[in-house]
Amino acid sequence: MTMLLRAFAGCALFCAALGAASAGDVVVFAAASLKEALDTQANHFQRSTGHKVVVSYAASNALAKQIESGAPADLFVSADVNWMDYAEQRKLLAPGTRVELLRNVLVLIAPAASSATLRIGPQFGLAAALGNERLAMANPDSVPAGKYGRSALESLGVWKDVDRRIARADNVRGALALVSRGEAPFGIVYRTDAIADKGVRTVDAFPPGSHPAIVYPAAVTAASRSAAARPLLDYLASPAARALWERHGFVVAQ
Amino acid sequence: MTQLLAPEDLGILALSLRVAIVSVVASLAPAIAVAYVLARCRFPGRTLFDAVVHLPLVLPPVVVGYALLMLLGRHGPVGSVLHDWFGIVFAFRWTGAALASAIMGFPLMVRAIRLSIEAVDRRLETAARTLGASRTRVFATVTLPLALPGIVTGSLLSFARGLGEFGATITFVSNIPGETQTLPLAIYTFTQVPGGDASALRLSLIAVVLSVAALVISEWLTRRAARASPA
Repeated sequence: MTMLLRAFAGCALFCAALGAASAGDVVVFAAASLKEALDTQANHFQRSTGHKVVVSYAASNALAKQIESGAPADLFVSADVNWMDYAEQRKLLAPGTRVELLRNVLVLIAPAASSATLRIGPQFGLAAALGNERLAMANPDSVPAGKYGRSALESLGVWKDVDRRIARADNVRGALALVSRGEAPFGIVYRTDAIADKGVRTVDAFPPGSHPAIVYPAAVTAASRSAAARPLLDYLASPAARALWERHGFVVAQ
Repeated sequence: MTQLLAPEDLGILALSLRVAIVSVVASLAPAIAVAYVLARCRFPGRTLFDAVVHLPLVLPPVVVGYALLMLLGRHGPVGSVLHDWFGIVFAFRWTGAALASAIMGFPLMVRAIRLSIEAVDRRLETAARTLGASRTRVFATVTLPLALPGIVTGSLLSFARGLGEFGATITFVSNIPGETQTLPLAIYTFTQVPGGDASALRLSLIAVVLSVAALVISEWLTRRAARASPA
């Protein structure tokens, strides 16, 4: 019996020790499309300052919801201004820390093995090209990449024809994976995602006027207690980080 | 307090019920066959076979969904054959959701039916054989009716499991409203969107009601079947 109690106590202590995070750590909630670029930036920051950086990637709407529910994020980087505004209106951001970090471009992709060509323009033949198959997109109701895609297709007059043929993914990387695996013949993702995955090729880019500007705002959260949160945000917005963002295909906001 | 069932909910509910019912009906015959083999037959590799049948019970559902995606996806080894030769597609279709539910519920069905078959008095079967009945006739008229409580329980357990199936479904056929967005997927989608809590709660209550109903009916049917069979 005492052996059992000792074993149980040992496990409990182990679990408690696992949970401890020091005040110098930074937890970042970032849009899914930032994965490779932000991982590299975080590594640089970690090596030069010694502060540990942990990043959680998901769709911006899911992240906003989690922060609202009290998730312990220090930094929030969203893929559109709407979800950042949402957080700001609910007093979830540290005042005066919000910056416009990056911009991106929306593209139509196909599997690397596909030879499909399409010119994006008003009334372009996406529905015909899809046939019975599906267009992979992030959820057009709530995920930024899906919302930009929907705006673009609506302004080009193509949305009503492809509306029924959409395979909705939880975030833009899910849509990317569907095309990369060949499950969907076309998908709408960011240019940076198309660059990051060798299994897809870009068919064409959406004209910037067909959707709201793709802006990635970033801010420190109001609940953040990390001493390294503001330095990390400053680093990500600094000229030193610029070359790396551009290498991954992002456009750095001035 | 908004009405209990919004119009969109009915579509989600109908799809969920259709997927779950089809998955149970489709897996009934295979489950009875597998349960009979496991209950009555001794052969080399039996333990391994038993383990494989129970695999969906212990594997993370996402792994099952991923395996289905690799095998039965558009370009998978089985999926491409099914598509090219028979025109059958599981990817992004409710049939794929039904398949995922059927696989996840299969071990539960097999376990319940197997226990029931093992409980059948073999002397009754032997008596029927001495009276001239063939093996098939014995199975159909003696074993199966006596195993009915287990078949009912197994079906309802598999139905409830299929109704709640999430990980394998979302990995295999993704989340398409009207086609593969079953009740758990719809609830999940609402929890991802700020402001979707009311809808998530409403659908969750529906899920609870359905599950409780399934269990109550299962109890009632089992007791009825047990009473009908000779003690």
